[in-house]
Amino acid sequence: MENPPLAPTITQCYACLKNVTDEDVFCPDCGYPLKGTPSEQENFITKSTFRDINLAASNNQVRKAGNTLFYLAGVFALGGIVFFVLRKDDPDVAAISITDFILAILFLLLGEYSKKKPLACIISGTCLYVIVQVLNFAIAPSSVISYIWIKIIIIGFLIKGIKSALEIEKIKKENNIA
Amino acid sequence: MIENKNEDVEKKPCIKCGVLIVLDNRFCNTCGARQDGKIIEPAANRWMLLQQGALFYGIDIVACCLVKFADFFQNLSRFLFFDILMAITAIIFFADNWTENKKLLTWRNFSWQKLAAYGAIAIASQIVVHYSVTWLNIAIYNKDDVYYTYLNGNYAAVIFLISFTAVMPALFEELGYRGYLMQTLLKVTDQEQAIYISAFLFAIIHMSVISLFWLIPFALFLGITRMRENTLWYGIFIHFCFNLTACVFELR
Repeated sequence: MENPPLAPTITQCYACLKNVTDEDVFCPDCGYPLKGTPSEQENFITKSTFRDINLAASNNQVRKAGNTLFYLAGVFALGGIVFFVLRKDDPDVAAISITDFILAILFLLLGEYSKKKPLACIISGTCLYVIVQVLNFAIAPSSVISYIWIKIIIIGFLIKGIKSALEIEKIKKENNIA
Repeated sequence: MIENKNEDVEKKPCIKCGVLIVLDNRFCNTCGARQDGKIIEPAANRWMLLQQGALFYGIDIVACCLVKFADFFQNLSRFLFFDILMAITAIIFFADNWTENKKLLTWRNFSWQKLAAYGAIAIASQIVVHYSVTWLNIAIYNKDDVYYTYLNGNYAAVIFLISFTAVMPALFEELGYRGYLMQTLLKVTDQEQAIYISAFLFAIIHMSVISLFWLIPFALFLGITRMRENTLWYGIFIHFCFNLTACVFELR
């Protein structure tokens, strides 16, 4: 009488530590070449390490863009307060200060939600900032020139944030990371 | 009947080599091909799409600024110029990907009940918006901000007003924002973020901070309607009813 076939041995995948059987040529969970040549295995590990580094760097850029939005919230809030204190008697003071405060609140909300929906918030924040600058330019052209370097840096951070958010979405979706 | 336990597990053929594998497996355990990964456009392509969207939005910003600040347009001619520029921009960008976008112009699930319901929602929200905006403008800016003052006493321009504040914006803003911009964003990101971004961009281009409180919900509503109904026409009708009610307030 023949012996029944042995149940496949269960071991751990070298890359993701999930259970695999000795029938598997590739890990069904992460795609690691369990029976591949050492160079194939090394290649796989290098690629996934590179992906992790890329993800970490992109997350860092997105965080910087989020901080830029918080910084803008602070700038507009401060601007509103300063304007209110300096020009108390101006009849337009309430209108301008309130506009500044609403912008500050918008940037604050965008900065806060950029942790959850980075792409949507950073794109929205960038467009809002650009529109504010365009309006400033239309009302008082010289105002855009002041602190122009800071403005360029802000736009730079935001655009890098958008690119990194695109990269993160791609990595996450392709690898099913929630 | 004795069944092998392994056979109970639901299986599917590998997308590459065709060997049966467990349904939940993310990789084929025979050839290593990925099973669940969605095919996503490379980040570079999506970045290019965003730049194209930015060009569209930039043109709209310039047009809005010209209408708001430039002196060389008087009264009606400025709205004529503005509406025609917006319309041309929206049509060019929308038609750029005509084969994919034309499906948005079909109206398969047409229903009178839905149309009436959407129209009623639009009119009701404009009434609420009109009174709250009037109140806010007086409270904060000490003025009753009338949008279309050039009309005073000029009733020959009623048709002009309706076509340039109700028909044209409804048609071409929907074509541009819920049509072109949203289609582009859907290729770049997921549905939820596409709705958020297009709504926020649509709201802030009106360049009125006070109006944001109703523009953002209104634009979100239009975006959700566009996604749910898969056609632009309900959005156009809502937008038309909303703006037409505003016209009625102006004409009183």
